[in-house]
Amino acid sequence: MQRSNTYLFPFLLLFLVLLFCFVLNLSLGSVAIPFNDTLTSILGGQIENESWQYIIWNYRIPKAFTAILVGSGLSLSGLLMQTLFRNPLAGPFVLGISSGASLGAALLIMGSTLFSQWFIFEVINDVSLAIASSIGSFLVLLAVIAVATRVKDTMALLIIGLMFGSITAALVSVLSYFTDADKLQQYIFWAFGSVGNLSGFQLALLSVFIFIGIILSIISVKSLNALLLGENYARSLGVHLKKTRFIIIIATGLLAGAVTAFAGPIAFIGLAVPHLTRQIFNTTDHKILVPAVLAYGAILLLLCDLIAQLPSSSYVLPLNAITSVVGAPVVIWLLVRKKKMIF
Amino acid sequence: MTKLDYKQFWKCDFCYLAQEFMDSYAIKYIGLLCLLLAFVSCKKKNQNSLPETLKKDLATINYAKGFSIEKLTSGITIIKVYSPWPDADEAFNYALVPKELLTQAKLNKNDFDAIISVPVERIIATSTTHIPALENLDVLDKLIGFPETRYISSVATRKKIDKGKIIDLGNNESINTEIALNLNPDLVMGFSINNQNKAYETLQRSNIPIVYNGDWTEETPLGKAEWIKFFAPFFGLEEKAENLFKTTEENYLAAKALAKKATNKPTVLSGALYKDVWYLPGGKSWAASFINDANADYLWRNTNATGSLSLSVESVLAKAADASFWVSPSQFISYYELDKASRHYHRFKAYKEKKIYTFANTKGETGGLLFYELGPARPDLILKDLIYIFHPELLPEHELFFFKPLL
Amino acid sequence: MSIGYTSRKEKTIIANHINFGLKKGELGAIVGINGIGKSTLLRTLGRVQPKLSGSILINNTPIEALKSDALATLVSVVLTEPIASKNLTVLQLVSLGRHPYTNWIGTLSADDQSKILKAIKILELEHLQHNKCYELSDGQLQKVMIARALAQDTEIILLDEPTTHLDLYHKVHILKLLQRIAHETKKVVLYTTHEIDLAIQLCDKMFVIKRDNNNFGAPCELIESKSFEDLFPKDTITFNPESGSFKINK
Repeated sequence: MQRSNTYLFPFLLLFLVLLFCFVLNLSLGSVAIPFNDTLTSILGGQIENESWQYIIWNYRIPKAFTAILVGSGLSLSGLLMQTLFRNPLAGPFVLGISSGASLGAALLIMGSTLFSQWFIFEVINDVSLAIASSIGSFLVLLAVIAVATRVKDTMALLIIGLMFGSITAALVSVLSYFTDADKLQQYIFWAFGSVGNLSGFQLALLSVFIFIGIILSIISVKSLNALLLGENYARSLGVHLKKTRFIIIIATGLLAGAVTAFAGPIAFIGLAVPHLTRQIFNTTDHKILVPAVLAYGAILLLLCDLIAQLPSSSYVLPLNAITSVVGAPVVIWLLVRKKKMIF
Repeated sequence: MTKLDYKQFWKCDFCYLAQEFMDSYAIKYIGLLCLLLAFVSCKKKNQNSLPETLKKDLATINYAKGFSIEKLTSGITIIKVYSPWPDADEAFNYALVPKELLTQAKLNKNDFDAIISVPVERIIATSTTHIPALENLDVLDKLIGFPETRYISSVATRKKIDKGKIIDLGNNESINTEIALNLNPDLVMGFSINNQNKAYETLQRSNIPIVYNGDWTEETPLGKAEWIKFFAPFFGLEEKAENLFKTTEENYLAAKALAKKATNKPTVLSGALYKDVWYLPGGKSWAASFINDANADYLWRNTNATGSLSLSVESVLAKAADASFWVSPSQFISYYELDKASRHYHRFKAYKEKKIYTFANTKGETGGLLFYELGPARPDLILKDLIYIFHPELLPEHELFFFKPLL
Repeated sequence: MSIGYTSRKEKTIIANHINFGLKKGELGAIVGINGIGKSTLLRTLGRVQPKLSGSILINNTPIEALKSDALATLVSVVLTEPIASKNLTVLQLVSLGRHPYTNWIGTLSADDQSKILKAIKILELEHLQHNKCYELSDGQLQKVMIARALAQDTEIILLDEPTTHLDLYHKVHILKLLQRIAHETKKVVLYTTHEIDLAIQLCDKMFVIKRDNNNFGAPCELIESKSFEDLFPKDTITFNPESGSFKINK
């Protein structure tokens, strides 16, 4: 493997771009706040307009951090899945993981009349939404894994993942049919995806989940690299396949589940970012890819969120629409350049 | 120590002092005066240190079940909302504190879901049903933001929207938090189906009080209209609201009494097909009440639903094929549309005799339906419309307001 | 050290009564007709597939008793299946062979790096070491996989059809290389092949799988015991014991 010294400069550049996007995301939004004021406020100063101070500290800064966590979490889970399944088209959305999380959330929001007696206060609501989504994503992930061990063909695996996505979507449809229009609207808005309006507690909870996911991924870096050769070779190299698979599944489930719980299902980031990272960094070494994917995911989502906010307009576009518009062409481009699509 | 003891304790203290004063006859009167003053101020002190449950004035609310208003002698108003949404577990308590009393009032923050300083100068409303109340109380200039302003029909409000005085906030489910924060409202009159609106939570964290308005959960015509009294305390216009409602109430009851004089009781159908399910109001719903009060026979008035019923087209045909009138055929605005939608509609007598009436044609400038906005506040107009439709001889000079014949 | 085997089958019994052993420094080949179970046998030996019955011993220890990491330092494999990702460079791929010896995150020590470079040198891949694997020909890729197994520095190297894509010169070149590796570094090298002629010429021991019985021994012993005669249908191909090769019947 190449020495990490040669990657120092690219990483530094990456970090600077991330910082730039962070500040850019903070300075543009529905309300036009002059850049100088934004800068002063971020750096701890006091600006005259109190509402602007509120907006920056109580809305934009948490939103930007959420975007970073969501972007990096999804990208990392995408990377893990692509290596685990040895499939360049794997990703949390494509393989139905996000759909599983959506089912968990839908059961909670729309089936809530059934469960309402179990919820006492709001804290449990946040945690339970996160848990419900994580469980949903885990279940689908396990189902996909179970099938993956029997199916050698990578295309078949993808189609199976899409089918699982369809099944969960169908279940959600049934729920939607029987629920009130208002709850349905609430679910639909959740499904649009959004990184704004998380409370401090929710943000902390999300960070914890993402952090655990990242730690688990770092532990698995060596095994992930070995998996690039295939399961049999990896085993012959001394990799504990069962343990590795288990850790990667937990990590993916946590990452995708937590993100979907708090931000709704976000399309394509998990799929597109690992590919983009591999192309730009031109490596398959997970020691480099894991941090790079985190950074790129964060940057991409900060930019998508920026666009979704439609600076200087009341309406906010659904985040999913923007990520799809960005992500889908990437996937098409990958499929067209099939030769180079080897991941 | 019970509250009564405490009061007597203070009283005794001053009485004792008073005795000493009384000894010197010369300042007896002054003493008496001082005593009186001391007693009075003593009482006031008691009032402030004692819990606020004493001495309250309950506003009379006769029809609405969703809220209650208590006015404490200290000047603080407590509003309780019992049904912000259907099946709510707990009531919401709101304390309205006059601006002058904000620093003095000792209120336990944890007892209330929001503490609002009144009178409110900047308010964000979130449902078109809030607009008539604000307009009739003449506080429309205090409205600064509203989600999806295109649904508002009121002419006066539209003027303000066009002038940029009322800012559009996007969709209520995902209200634009930045713009809402930037508007710096004193109050957000919120509408929600449950406790999970993330944008409201962010606003609350920024110390903007949110008050849930549950007028949409009321099931009776006068109940819904009585919610104008809910708005009043926020602006100190309780009396005006009382008077306005009284007028509406009198008009409504007069119309209802008039309807009783009708000599016949026509049968009435409502609703329409969506795909292959016919949706119409339940027997105990708000919409059905009007038909009953207009002295007509709503064919499903014996059902218990307060919402809508989902029926098959056969059962509707079986029951209502010969109904004399057809009121509110969902969103249809013309016979042509009905015809295009389904040939089943031809079987109805009301269709053949062109006795269909709808409010869907009464729209505001930007397409909002006036009925949904103004209807709840003016049940008397709705009732009069229906009486005119069913028994035109009783109100010969009435001009239809909401309901118009289908085009 | 030796690998010994008593009997082995697969899910559906493919072959029975397999009984052979190899010592250090020996080059062995498994031969037989198509579908007889050569690859299955090799993969079972490498613990890529589970065995059905009997025992596999390495230095008299049963293979099941060894943990993955321990086994990885003893046995390395080269399989016929394609690798999952061809986006690695040759150097990266060969470096993966050092996996059992590196720390938790896979940093290569100086020792690791020297072994990697040595493996690359032996397989004559220096000029290709920075190329990506998808740029290589099948033959070059095969050499890279062998280099990787070599870098793993194990006592036993198992190869499944390592010479399939190579031209005759390179076939011989690789086999002679394997022979040299076995003899010089005292490793056990066992491979499966269709090229029985070459195996006879180069191997120390051979294992011939047949339908009813299997033969094991040095090539000359096997020729004497006429083990190769009945491998193929006699009317098409006959075995010439003197030249140690097969001839086509015209």
